[in-house]
Amino acid sequence: MRTMIASVYAMALYGFIFLPVAMLVLFSFQGTLFPIPPFNGPSLRWYEAVLNDARLTSGLMNSILVAVTTSALATVLGFLSAWGFARFHLPGSALLRGLITLPLTVSYLIIGMGLLILFNWLGLPKSLIAAGIGHVVINLPLCFAIIYSQMGDHQANVERAARDLGASEIKVLLLITAPMLWPALFASFFLSMTFSWDEFVIAFLLTRFDTTLPVEIWNLLRAGLNPKTNAVGALVFGVSVMLAIIFELVALRRRNS
Amino acid sequence: MTPGTASRIGWASVTPALLWTLAFFALPFLAMAIVSVYPKGGAGFSLANYGQFFTNPSYWRAMTNSIEVTAIVTVISVLLAYPFAWILAFVVPRRWQRLALMLAVLPFWTSYVVRSYAWLLVLAEKGVINTSLLELGAITEPLQLANTRTATVIGFVHFFVMLLTLTIYANLKQLSPNYRKAAADLGATPLQSFAHVILPLTLPGIMVGAFLTFVLAIGDYITPQILGGNNELLMPQLIMMQIGRRGDFSSASALSIILMVVVTLAYFACARWLRIERA
Amino acid sequence: MTLHSLACRLAGASIAALTAFGLAGQASAADLNALVWCDHADPNLLKPFEDANGIKVNVKEFEGTGAGLAIIEQSQPGDWDVMVIDSIDVPRGVERGLFEPLPEDQLPMADLFPEVKMDASTVVDGKRYGITEKFGYNTIGFNKSKADPQDMQSLAVLTGDKYKGRIAIYDYYLPVIGMAAMAIGKKTTELTEADLPAIKEVLTKMKANAKAVTDVVASQTALATGEVDVLVGGGEWVTAGIAKENPDLDFSIPKEGAVLWSQSLAMFKDSKNKDMALKFIQYIMSPEGQARLATSSCYWGMPASSKAALNDEQKAILRFAEQPEFLKRAQPYPAPSEDLDKKMQDLWTEMIQAQ
Repeated sequence: MRTMIASVYAMALYGFIFLPVAMLVLFSFQGTLFPIPPFNGPSLRWYEAVLNDARLTSGLMNSILVAVTTSALATVLGFLSAWGFARFHLPGSALLRGLITLPLTVSYLIIGMGLLILFNWLGLPKSLIAAGIGHVVINLPLCFAIIYSQMGDHQANVERAARDLGASEIKVLLLITAPMLWPALFASFFLSMTFSWDEFVIAFLLTRFDTTLPVEIWNLLRAGLNPKTNAVGALVFGVSVMLAIIFELVALRRRNS
Repeated sequence: MTPGTASRIGWASVTPALLWTLAFFALPFLAMAIVSVYPKGGAGFSLANYGQFFTNPSYWRAMTNSIEVTAIVTVISVLLAYPFAWILAFVVPRRWQRLALMLAVLPFWTSYVVRSYAWLLVLAEKGVINTSLLELGAITEPLQLANTRTATVIGFVHFFVMLLTLTIYANLKQLSPNYRKAAADLGATPLQSFAHVILPLTLPGIMVGAFLTFVLAIGDYITPQILGGNNELLMPQLIMMQIGRRGDFSSASALSIILMVVVTLAYFACARWLRIERA
Repeated sequence: MTLHSLACRLAGASIAALTAFGLAGQASAADLNALVWCDHADPNLLKPFEDANGIKVNVKEFEGTGAGLAIIEQSQPGDWDVMVIDSIDVPRGVERGLFEPLPEDQLPMADLFPEVKMDASTVVDGKRYGITEKFGYNTIGFNKSKADPQDMQSLAVLTGDKYKGRIAIYDYYLPVIGMAAMAIGKKTTELTEADLPAIKEVLTKMKANAKAVTDVVASQTALATGEVDVLVGGGEWVTAGIAKENPDLDFSIPKEGAVLWSQSLAMFKDSKNKDMALKFIQYIMSPEGQARLATSSCYWGMPASSKAALNDEQKAILRFAEQPEFLKRAQPYPAPSEDLDKKMQDLWTEMIQAQ
C-alpha cells in the first residue's frame, strides 16, 4: 500500500516535471505558425529554420566558447584558492573565504548591472568577454565551495608524504592534489558549464552583437510567435541530455574502475 | 618548508581568486552604491531613489509581491521535493536509483528561457491543460492560468523542485541507515522516527536548498516576465524597467541594493545552516 | 617554477584566451552597426543589402527611445552607424548631438506620403536628421468573429463592462497613455502633468477590464489564440503579420482617433562608415527595401514610401487604400519632457500594480 502511494506520488511528480518539456518537443514538429493544440504536424520546417538562422547558430558557438572558457577559469581559480585556504593558516582566513563565497548570495541581475556600470565608467565596450567575466564571478564561489569541502586531511597527509620525498610544491599540486580531487574538479567544471550555458541576464546586459544562445532565444521570443522557439529549445535539450549521459558514463566508469 | 615560504605560497594561491572577486564583484557593487545616490537628471547627491521606494506604493508593492511569491515558491517546492527525494532514496530499488534521479532532473537541461516559454504554452487558454480538461468535461469554461501569479509560481516550482530533490536526496543518502534502525529498536513509530530523528538531521540540507531557492527566485526576471502577464510587477521586473525604458541606472542600482539587503536578511536568518565545512 | 608564477601564467593564459575570443567577436570596421527595432533584424530584409555590398550588418534590437538612448550612453562614439527611432523623438537625438544631417537630394523624399514626413520633428534648424520609413497605428486590435466591429468604433468600449476579461493591453506606456488621453478628449501633443489624474482613471478602468498587459509577442499570441478578443494599443503591426493564419483579426480607427506611430532612420554623427550608412538608408527607402520592411517577420506596418513594391494582397492586408481616412483621425505619439516622461512611467507602473 505504501509503495503504491509512493509510486503514484512519484509518477505525478515525474508528470509535472516532464509536462512542459514534452509539449515543447511535440510542438516543435508543428506544421503551422502557432505552437498550440491542435497538433497538425509532424513537420521539420522549424528545425530547418533554426539551422538556417545564422544568429542562432553563432549564438550557439558563442555560448559553448563562453561556457568552456569561463568554467575552466573558475575551476582553476577555485581550486587554487581552496587549496591555499585548506593547507595554509592565513590570517583573516574565515573572512576572506566569506568574501569569495559572497557572490553566491547575490542575484545575477545585480552582478550583471554592477559590472555594466563599472565597465561603462572604465569605457570598456560590451562584449562576450564582459559577459564571460560575469560568468566567472558567479561560478567561482561555487567551484571554491565544492573543492574546499572536499579538501580532507587524508589528502594533506599524502601531500606531506610527497613533499618529504622531495617533490616541489608545484609538483605536489599538479601530480598529487589535483588528481586526488579530480571528482570535485570535474563536478565544479561541469556545474559551472551548466550555469554559464543557461545564464541569461548577465549576457543580456553585457553583450552587444555577438551574444550567447539564451539571449538570442530571448530575441527570437520577442520577435514573434512561432514554433522555431520550440525547435531551438528541443535541440538545446537534446544536446544537453547527451552531455549529461556522457557525464554519467564517465562518472560511472571511474567509480567502477 | 619554512613558515615564511609556506605563507607566501598560501597567499599566492588564494590571491587570484580574491582579486577577481574584489575587482569584478566588490568594485562593481561599490560603483552601484555610488551611482544610486546620484539620481539621473538630478543636481547631485540625493537619497531620492531610496525615498521613492518607500513613498511610492507601486514600488513598495513590487517588493512585497516578490517576497510573497518567493516564500510561496520556496515552501511549495520543499513540500513537494522532500517526499520525492525520500521515495528516490529509500523506496526505489538501489540499482534504479541513479536512473530515477537523473530522470527527475532531466528537464533541468532545457534552456531556462525556453522552459518558461514552454509553460506558457501548457497553461495558455488554448493550451494543453485547458484543452484536455474541457474535453474531459471537467470544466466548462477554460481556466485562467497563463498570465497570472499562479503561472509564475508554477514555473518557479518546476525548476526548484528539481533543484531541491537533488540536494535533499544527497542529504538523505548521507544519513546512516542505523539511525532509522536505532529509532525503531527503541520503539519509535515510523512517524516518530521521521519527526524526531530524520527531519532534524536533514534540516540543514533543506535550509541550504531553501535558501538557494529564495536567492535564485527573488532575483529572477525571466519567469515572472514570461508567465506573469504583467498583472503585477516583481522587483527584478521593476529594476529591468528602470534600465530598459529609461536607462536610469541610478534608480535601478538603488532598487538592486534594497533587494540585496532583503536577501542578506534571509541569509542571516538561515546562517547557522549555511556554513561551508570541510569534510 | 614557483606556485606564484604558475598562478600568474594560468591567469595570464586565461585572460589571453578571453581577449582572443572577445576581440574576434568585436565588430570589424567594415561592418555596419545598426541600432534598430526588431523588424530590421529580419534576414529577408538585410541579406539582399549585405550581399549587394559585401558587408555585414550587425543589429542590436531595442524597444522605446529611452532604451535606445540608454544603449548609446553605454557605448563609445563611433560604435553605431544608423539608428531607428520614433520620428517624434528625432529632436532628442539631435539635442544630444548624436545625428548627422541627411542629404535630401540623395533620398527619395518625393515618394513619401506627405502626412508621415513629420518635418516638425525630423527637420531641426532647417536640416533633415530623420527620414520616416514605416508607420502605423496604436489603436484597437480585435477578433471580428468574437467582438462586434461596431463596438470597436469608440474608445469608450475599453472602459465599459461589455468586454471585461477579454481585453489585453499592449505594454508600452506612451501610445496607451495617448489613447487614454484621446478617450477623454485631450490632444496627445498637449499633455501636461495636470492631465495625469484623469488619464490614470481611464487606465485603471482599462486595467480592471484586462486579462494581461502584454509585450509584442504575448499580444500577438493572446489575440491569435483567442485568449483575448480585444487588444488596446494593437493595430496592423499585430494583426497583419498573422492575417493569413487567422483572417478574423482586424483593427479599427475609432471615432476619437488613434495614435500614429512612425519610425525614422537616422545616421550617427560619429559613424566611421557614413557612405555605407547612407547606402543602407537608401536601400531601406527603395521600393524593394520598403516592401521588405513593411512585411518584416517581427511586425508589419505601412511603408512610408508610396512606391513600395508590395503586391495587391499585401496592400489589402495593410489597408493601403484607407490610409488617407485613417491619417485624418490620427494623432502623434505623446512626446513628454524628461520629467513628465518619468511621471508617465510611474503612472504606468501604478496601473500594472493596481489590483
